[in-house]
Amino acid sequence: MNRSLIRKTLFILAITAASVFAIVRAPLRLGLDLRGGVSLILRVKVDDPSPERRREVVQQTRQILERRINAFGLSEAPVQSYGSRGNELLVQLPGISDPSRIKNLLQSRGILEWYSVEGGPYASPEEATAHHGGTLPYNRKLVATQPAGDGRLSWFLLDSQPIIRGTDLRDARVALDAMERPVTTFMLSRDAASHFEQYTQSNIGQRTAIVLDQEILSTPVIDDVIRDSGEIRGARSREQAEDLAVNLRSGALPAAIEVVQQRTVEASLGADSIRQGLQAGVAGLAAVVAVMLLYYRRAGANATLALLMNGLLLIAILSCFGAVLTLPGIAGAVLTIGMAVDSNVLIFERIREELRAGKSAGAALAAGFAKALATLIDTHVTTVVSCLFLFFFGTPAVKGFATTLVIGLTTNLFTSVFVSRLAFDWELWRQRSRATLSIGIAR
Amino acid sequence: MELFRDTHFNFLGRKWWFILPSLILILAGLTNILVKGPRYSTDFKGGVETDIRWEGAPPVERIRAAVSSRLAGVSVVAAHDLTGSSEVIVSAELPSGGDVTTVRQTIDEALSTISPRYSIRDYQAIGPQIGDDLRHQALMATAGASGGMLAYLSYRFRLAYGVAAVVAMLHDAVITIGLLSLFHQEISLTVVAALLTLIGYSMNDTIVVFDRVRENRRISGRESLAETINRSINQTLSRTVLTSGLTLLTAVALLLFGGQVLRGFSLALVIGILVGTFSSIFIASPILLAWEQGHAKWRTQQRTLSAGGVR
Repeated sequence: MNRSLIRKTLFILAITAASVFAIVRAPLRLGLDLRGGVSLILRVKVDDPSPERRREVVQQTRQILERRINAFGLSEAPVQSYGSRGNELLVQLPGISDPSRIKNLLQSRGILEWYSVEGGPYASPEEATAHHGGTLPYNRKLVATQPAGDGRLSWFLLDSQPIIRGTDLRDARVALDAMERPVTTFMLSRDAASHFEQYTQSNIGQRTAIVLDQEILSTPVIDDVIRDSGEIRGARSREQAEDLAVNLRSGALPAAIEVVQQRTVEASLGADSIRQGLQAGVAGLAAVVAVMLLYYRRAGANATLALLMNGLLLIAILSCFGAVLTLPGIAGAVLTIGMAVDSNVLIFERIREELRAGKSAGAALAAGFAKALATLIDTHVTTVVSCLFLFFFGTPAVKGFATTLVIGLTTNLFTSVFVSRLAFDWELWRQRSRATLSIGIAR
Repeated sequence: MELFRDTHFNFLGRKWWFILPSLILILAGLTNILVKGPRYSTDFKGGVETDIRWEGAPPVERIRAAVSSRLAGVSVVAAHDLTGSSEVIVSAELPSGGDVTTVRQTIDEALSTISPRYSIRDYQAIGPQIGDDLRHQALMATAGASGGMLAYLSYRFRLAYGVAAVVAMLHDAVITIGLLSLFHQEISLTVVAALLTLIGYSMNDTIVVFDRVRENRRISGRESLAETINRSINQTLSRTVLTSGLTLLTAVALLLFGGQVLRGFSLALVIGILVGTFSSIFIASPILLAWEQGHAKWRTQQRTLSAGGVR
């Protein structure tokens, strides 16, 4: 008897130590709603009829976006797929408060092309066509420049075939030009470089256009043979030049991207939420423990022990999985307290019934736990079943809630049956033959 | 301390005293929803929602006017939490065909005409399609959860128990949604999560009673089913009341301290726990009894019919 009790106690102590170790080794990371940041849901605009091709495009987009985000210095923010449609991506960027820069970084496609200029500038597309007798010449296209300082556009007539394509780039960096202004320099791949060298050699004095995402960035005149690199001027700030370099380096997006949902949380709101969640948890726990102690006396202390153990295990398992704690997750944890209390009440009421029926302390304890166990399994399984359907929601918030609750229910079954029972067994063993139970009823 | 000891309330005998108010509540809630239409939050219908901290008392009317001149469907609600800080929740429709990402600037512009002393703490813009998807998911989750629980209970108990429990659960869900509508609470994603949680709680309660009924049926000799159910409810009564009371305590703690974000969630829970406790005694049990009695009657009819056929 004594030996088995000691063995079980050692087992529980080992689990406690392991839990504490797990929590210390990898503390819970806070979710975006608790530490502030930007979360975006992006839709990849791909309407290829083949589902395989669509998947491929979304997958490519995801990798490129991830590369861009990493280049931005946010390594712990993977791009996740979102929703059931298969063309939506979730980007979470904790710790960022200005979403506009990151949005440009994600949304611009990053297709860089180099064309020869065949005419222009014109003030409007109409002027351009009028210049050519009412119709555009064959194999030419009209492209607008970036809006100038006063918001005006000008138009150039370009060859419809680019000399250099986006896929011809090898690298892109930020440098300073002779005037100490930030410029984005890029390197061409070997094939493209030899092609470009030939082209520039035979076209010295010709005006060219550097086009990014269907917008003319600049129209330099070729004044010398260019081998394998070029630079893009006109960045308004170093940041802008850097972002362009990142976009060119990470590759062009295979499809356009639309932002369908955006959420920005300020860090101070997250801090408030943590404080409120903690307050709610502590207040709820304190009230429950007080009532349990009042109503069940010493047995209430056993329940409290089981409750605390449950909380410890829950946090340990969550940090083992590398889970991220969110506000709905805190709600799930608070609800776990409710479920844990229910299990203890169920067991204690059963023990009381057995005691009233005249059984000895030991027999009542055994019968109470055994009979309550069937009910406990039924209630826990049904709640887990209903929780599983919460995973139907693609939303991370609801998933976080369901995950916490399911883990909490599982650990609760262990603590309320095993840990609390052990505490009772020690109580009986200490009193030996004339054992009585302190469970709040007069005998 | 003991709450109930050896009680003998006749719960089933007075069932109409309890079913009637329940029906009235359901009707009131449903008419309210039908007349006003269900109030979805931006999660479900798409739109913009911002949580703005205002230094000093926020001029709600001026904020509304400033934002309304730039965006459609504007609502401005001032909210105070326990810490005494003032927050304004501004929501609006997304401009049609507009970019999700530009509305923040529009709101910023509108607010800066009033005062520079504010900060946008939470900004959320949801495209209409995302909302549609979410509504679909919510429906799927509820249907799936009901079906899953019905299947599990039918397997562990009998079909009658499963049906009674699921009907009681739907009863709770309908009453809670109706009451939330009466309290002008919007249906948001968190409220749906709370609904699904309380469905679990309500089930819990019902299962505890039904487990006892099943156990008592095995050892009851000549006792009628009605007597067994009554006895089982009485035996589990102190557990039912105590557990509901304690879970209610945690839900109330969430309501008081959980802050603005969890308000809808905790309100739905508080209502749901009360209704769920009620329904396992006064809704699920009568349905179980009626079903089993009807089934028994049908069986005897079949027997006399087939006996007549032989003759």
